[in-house]
Amino acid sequence: MKALVLGEFGEQAALLDAARSLRARGGARLDLHSPYPLEGADEVLGLKPSTVPLVVLVAGVIGAISGYLLQWYTVGYDWPLNVGNRPPHSPAAFIPVTFELGVLFAALAIFFGLLAAWFGFPRVHHPVFEVEAFRSATIDGLWLSAEVEGKDAEGIAAELRRLGARQVSIVPEAT
Amino acid sequence: MSTGPETETVVPRAVDPLEPVPVLVGRPSDRALTESLLTPVLGPVKKGWLLLLALLLGVMGLWLVALTLTVFVGIGVWGNNIPVAWAFDITNFVWWIGIGHAGTLISAILLLFQQKWRTSINRFAEAMTLFAVAMAGMYPIIHLGRPWLFWWLIPYPATTGVWPNFKSALPWDVFAISTYATVSLLFWYLGLIPDLATLRDAAASRLQRRVYGIMSFGWRGSARHWQHWRIGYLLMAGLSTPLVLSVHTIVSFDFAISQLPGWHTTIFPPYFVAGAIFSGFAMVVTLMVPARKVFGFEHVVTLRHLDNMAKVLLATGLMVAYGYAMEWFIAWYSGDDAEWFAFLNRAVGDYSWIFAIQMFCNVVAPQVLWSARFRRSPLALFVVSILVNVGMWAERFVIIAVSLTRDFLPGSWANYTPTWVDWSLLFGSIATFGVLFMLFLRFIPAIPISEVKELRHELSHGDHERARAAQAQAERS
Repeated sequence: MKALVLGEFGEQAALLDAARSLRARGGARLDLHSPYPLEGADEVLGLKPSTVPLVVLVAGVIGAISGYLLQWYTVGYDWPLNVGNRPPHSPAAFIPVTFELGVLFAALAIFFGLLAAWFGFPRVHHPVFEVEAFRSATIDGLWLSAEVEGKDAEGIAAELRRLGARQVSIVPEAT
Repeated sequence: MSTGPETETVVPRAVDPLEPVPVLVGRPSDRALTESLLTPVLGPVKKGWLLLLALLLGVMGLWLVALTLTVFVGIGVWGNNIPVAWAFDITNFVWWIGIGHAGTLISAILLLFQQKWRTSINRFAEAMTLFAVAMAGMYPIIHLGRPWLFWWLIPYPATTGVWPNFKSALPWDVFAISTYATVSLLFWYLGLIPDLATLRDAAASRLQRRVYGIMSFGWRGSARHWQHWRIGYLLMAGLSTPLVLSVHTIVSFDFAISQLPGWHTTIFPPYFVAGAIFSGFAMVVTLMVPARKVFGFEHVVTLRHLDNMAKVLLATGLMVAYGYAMEWFIAWYSGDDAEWFAFLNRAVGDYSWIFAIQMFCNVVAPQVLWSARFRRSPLALFVVSILVNVGMWAERFVIIAVSLTRDFLPGSWANYTPTWVDWSLLFGSIATFGVLFMLFLRFIPAIPISEVKELRHELSHGDHERARAAQAQAERS
């Protein structure tokens, strides 16, 4: 049985220090929650560099290639059209649509990739929402969450209080 | 501490001496900032808002009548004729698309250039973009005559075996506009997710919490999410930057790659893009000046923002003026009779009064913005922005319709007179745009709350640094 320990901090520095100290202690999956991106959160949590750029590059290249192939196949090969005696396969005329489809695929990959793959959304029910006070996480609260084994929860909660948390809650996780 | 001049403590300057008007007035707490920025959504409905919405809905009714008539009867109800086959419809299309450029410019290009002043106005400008593109997209579709067959423009394996002609600028347009609309929407929504979560958590009513909860997909401000969100948002900005330049370039190809005198011009792509940014910034100013007053955004959208927007207006206005001058020069220098005649016809022909409006509004009026007093006067800026909106519409009309009235063959010359349906479609689309914008202001945070908070923390950090430097200076002396 897992439990989620939540602690709210007043200062960004205190939050990052607490996260650093808990990470050194080990045994918990840590996360920070804030109304705006926190400078230095990535290093404190030891997050790997984001894989978003690579996926977007691949999606954009696929989009551009399919855009070009679409035009080549339709007007250059399947039904060659003679327009102003230009060759059926006219690379220069195919540039705009190739570019647009590359951008379109990349943008779709960013948006839906972020939501579904990186964020695991939609997920409107999450253990953190069990704590009413956690609503401040999108307004002015700086929260630390630690996912731990149920028996360790009390210990982590005490540790969070010691590290200066303004309030601490324990959520027994259903999942 | 003594009060002698030698030992007097230097008061730390919270204001950067190079930036006399701040981008954020005061340093409100995160909670106060959230409350003030959410008031338009969570506060009581304003009477003025309802009144204006009702008025706009009324004009929108006229738009619906005109649209219905166009679809059921056909485009014969318009004033279009041969040779003027493109008139109000395409003029409105290009005008709206141009307006739609400012949003992405502010959000994307200014983000990449790390312009802090974009933060408060980007959401606003992006919403404007979306609604402007929606208005623009409608015109080419109803201009098809049989708009219910618009999907013939999309390449699909038809039983006829025929495909769209990708060597024509018009299918390029289809791809450019639909990509632009999609990417603008995704970019806007990606930036909106954290603020929708704020709205979910700040709302008191159960219904609002539910609706905004679903719209924010369960955002919980996790550092893991912020990490990917930031890079995704930045990449989206990077993609939008060439996209926004490509869209109006492709729109200008609709004209530039044809043979018609007055259209067949190589300067069109950059000149159209500059004009688009010019008209788009004008529309942002037109909407922002009253909105910041009514909704009390004056602490986050300061005179500094207006000043900067005015400078962009002035700069792009000068680019547009250069475009006009160069068009005229090339028409004369080319020695092409038809080309030179087309330009003389603009200036002294039957529509010379529209040309005069274009020149006054786009070239003369923005020159007052050289003066800082005018740039920082909301009223003056509002008046200039309205003039620019009118002037840019006139420019599109002069390029599109006036060029068509006089082509190569005098035998096919004919003038154009709009009908009431044309006028209803123009003013109706402005009202519909207004309705969408009013709903946006009421239901969605118009100022990006999380970004303003981030900016506030950055600025506070700067304040501390400056105070510390001042302290050190004082101690040394």
